[in-house]
Amino acid sequence: MWAYQKRLQYPVNIKKKDLRMAKLLITQYGGSNGELAAALRYLNQRYTMPDNKGKALLTDIGTEELAHIEMIATMVYQLMKDATIEEIKAAGLDPHYAEHNKALYPTDANGVPFTVTYFATTGDPLADISEDMAAEQKARAVYENLIDLTDDPDVIGPLLWLRQREVVHFNRFKELFEYYDEMFSKKPQLKNQSQQSNFMDNVSQGINNLSQFLNNFNQEM
Amino acid sequence: MYNYNKYIGNDYFRNTTPNNMMNNQPNLYTPEEGYDRGNLFANLYVGYKNYQPTKLQAKNEKEALFLELSRYAFAAHELNLYLDLHPEDTTMLTLFNDYRMKTNQLMMEYENKYGPLTVSSDEMSSSFLWEKDAWPWEGGSKK
Repeated sequence: MWAYQKRLQYPVNIKKKDLRMAKLLITQYGGSNGELAAALRYLNQRYTMPDNKGKALLTDIGTEELAHIEMIATMVYQLMKDATIEEIKAAGLDPHYAEHNKALYPTDANGVPFTVTYFATTGDPLADISEDMAAEQKARAVYENLIDLTDDPDVIGPLLWLRQREVVHFNRFKELFEYYDEMFSKKPQLKNQSQQSNFMDNVSQGINNLSQFLNNFNQEM
Repeated sequence: MYNYNKYIGNDYFRNTTPNNMMNNQPNLYTPEEGYDRGNLFANLYVGYKNYQPTKLQAKNEKEALFLELSRYAFAAHELNLYLDLHPEDTTMLTLFNDYRMKTNQLMMEYENKYGPLTVSSDEMSSSFLWEKDAWPWEGGSKK
């Protein structure tokens, strides 16, 4: 399960409204290389990792991405909140206003809604972690594009910081990739065995939990 | 409790060969330097163009305590990610525990003075303060 802390991972305090930048920044929320795709990618891939190192890293980075979603959403919210209808129209955000008013909604910079087809899970640790490495690099590149498009230090600060997180995560995934690559090249049978036994362990654990839940439930009734 | 000053922010970690692989100690920034940069690991830091990370500063006592909490929570999280892959690294484990305990202590101090950051906070025995203070996107904890 997850527990919320009522704080941002890094401070966001944007004083100047900027609808153009809000329209661009939203892609790091709901675009193909955005934080929502990252969080869902890692938090779905973690179940079929072959050992606890992979499960731990994907859980912890996936959780951090949820905090990054909150930072990007906060930036977009603060950039938009004082806008007038005229300003919204002038910035080309009237289609957004028509559907969402000033509410947050995960789309890319063109207003295309988020879709889960932005990420994959294959059950193959090397394929999944390669995607994760690529995802971190693409997100870093998009952060750089966004930094190029603004001169507001209140916006640049958090973007530089988020960009650096992509650098760190990329390196951690690279380490994990190299570690699994070496592990599988020494013992190729490990890859499939661990996946199958993991899966069956999870299934039988799930059945146990369910029957325990039903027992408790019956007793309480 | 432990004195890590000899390890951080000076030559001990900095002089080790930049390397993020298993058998070498990474060189670390202090929690303050690391938090400003978004990266505790000096050997992994890659800047963008000539941009410099913002030097975060507090305007009052509340902000100062909050910033300190954010720094230690971040440093502990960075070591958490590292230890996921290197659980056998006892030097880093000890440093992780130092930052983790410092984070918990700062969290309790902040919540005691300024209200809950988690719904499990001890500060709600007499009234439900959870919904009282501003939310993070409204500049909560930044007053």
